[in-house]
Amino acid sequence: MLTVLLVDDDPEFTDVACTIIEFLGHEVLTAANLAEARDWLKKETFDHILLDFMLPDGSGAHLFDELELLAKRPRVTLITGHPSVRGIIKDLCGPNIDYLVKPIQREEIEAVLSGKKDGKASEEEPPAITRHFEHLIGESAPMQELYKLIERVSKTSANVMLLGESGVGKEVVAAAIHQASDVEGPYIATNCGAFSKELIGSELFGHEKGAFTGAVGRKDGVFEQAEGGTLFLDEITEMPIDMQPNLLRVLENKVVIRVGGSKTIPVNCRVVSATNRNMEEIAQSKVLREDIYFRLAVFPITIPTLRERKEDIPLLATHFINELNAENGTGFMWQDTQLETLQAYDWPGNVRELRHFVHRAAIMSDPEKSNIELPKSIESPFAKKQSTTPALQAGRTIEDVEKELIFATLEKVNGNKTMAAEMLGISTKTLYNRLHAYGEISKDD
Amino acid sequence: MTESELSELAKHIHDARKPLNRISMQAELVKMALNGDVPTDKAIDALDKIITSTKDCSDALTGLMSALSESPSE
Repeated sequence: MLTVLLVDDDPEFTDVACTIIEFLGHEVLTAANLAEARDWLKKETFDHILLDFMLPDGSGAHLFDELELLAKRPRVTLITGHPSVRGIIKDLCGPNIDYLVKPIQREEIEAVLSGKKDGKASEEEPPAITRHFEHLIGESAPMQELYKLIERVSKTSANVMLLGESGVGKEVVAAAIHQASDVEGPYIATNCGAFSKELIGSELFGHEKGAFTGAVGRKDGVFEQAEGGTLFLDEITEMPIDMQPNLLRVLENKVVIRVGGSKTIPVNCRVVSATNRNMEEIAQSKVLREDIYFRLAVFPITIPTLRERKEDIPLLATHFINELNAENGTGFMWQDTQLETLQAYDWPGNVRELRHFVHRAAIMSDPEKSNIELPKSIESPFAKKQSTTPALQAGRTIEDVEKELIFATLEKVNGNKTMAAEMLGISTKTLYNRLHAYGEISKDD
Repeated sequence: MTESELSELAKHIHDARKPLNRISMQAELVKMALNGDVPTDKAIDALDKIITSTKDCSDALTGLMSALSESPSE
């Protein structure tokens, strides 16, 4: 229990404030002006003074010097009408003073009396990493754009096709779309590339008992399982082309017939499909029928690669290490220079590669320490070698590029000119002529 | 705006904020009454005072408005 002196000239305010402070378990006395406050200070000792800044007989600040002379100096909380006054008072009286800004709420009184307000200001926790739609991490412009698209499409029931390189997080985006949509049904994910031609029909549409050898019971397909929810079809372009008419029929008629069955079952779910091929590739390679494409890609979304949003790398790396810390009870922390190293790399395997890399680094590091040991170089067997010389760029002459190509080819075949000429699709004679022109070989050669 | 006009303005704003602070505190009292922390009749009393304060606040804003329109324009 504290003994509190409340100094304020508004009797209605002090009246209610007293009720609240007493309810909080403290003893409270009131003064309407500086003179009354001085009187109380002579008679009583206080643990805490709540002091209005503007009083009829002067500013509350006049009391400060007198408080210094007391045997037991009470804690002081200034009540001000305007937030800007805070700055001025801070300069006058140092940082060891709390403030309440009118209009005041009960929680604020509670906080200053318990001294919690102090603690909150001094040891603020680092800002938590926001998970957009409970799944996605990143504050970069390309991600903000993605969030906007997800927000928009979540309001509709349109089918979404997610395009993006391997490892960008297509499944995570699909889950985010499901999260953003206000639907009651479940989120069901399946991989069209993971099933044999024979089994994919059963996986998608279900089967009746005895439909084929081994069909010992009835099975619901994923379309039925996702009723009223979201069905995620990963690697849609890996689906056998002769199965696609069946899929088209479901998408058009919104009914499925189980394998070996005859009854039509109505289905109602949003289909989110994904592929790591880009639109041109889909169109040219004929892995997906055009009619299916238009049914699935009512709203196509291209997910940005990690190298297009490098500013998110520290955020993601921190999130991954936090996850691992929580899992293994470690306390690993990134150093700024390490995050810069991660940011400099191009991550051809995208977020998946980054996650894998962080995991590996955490395993390599001493679990007793907070320091993370980074391998000397970041590379994965799947990463395309990053050439140090800039690739084809506008502004270079054809001659230049031709020369580079010839030398690169020669290097590859250990200088064998016949093989190099064959690879380049020119005659050996032409190759010799070029090399002469570059001054690489003399006529005698 | 001159120094004196500014302090005049500050006075009016102070007058408008005073009832707002009362409203905030009385509302806290109503919350406490609904929780059963203080007697219910206190809540009725507090709500009446809130209504009075809204009028006071409105009056203060009217005062501010007329003070602004009376001040000599530059």
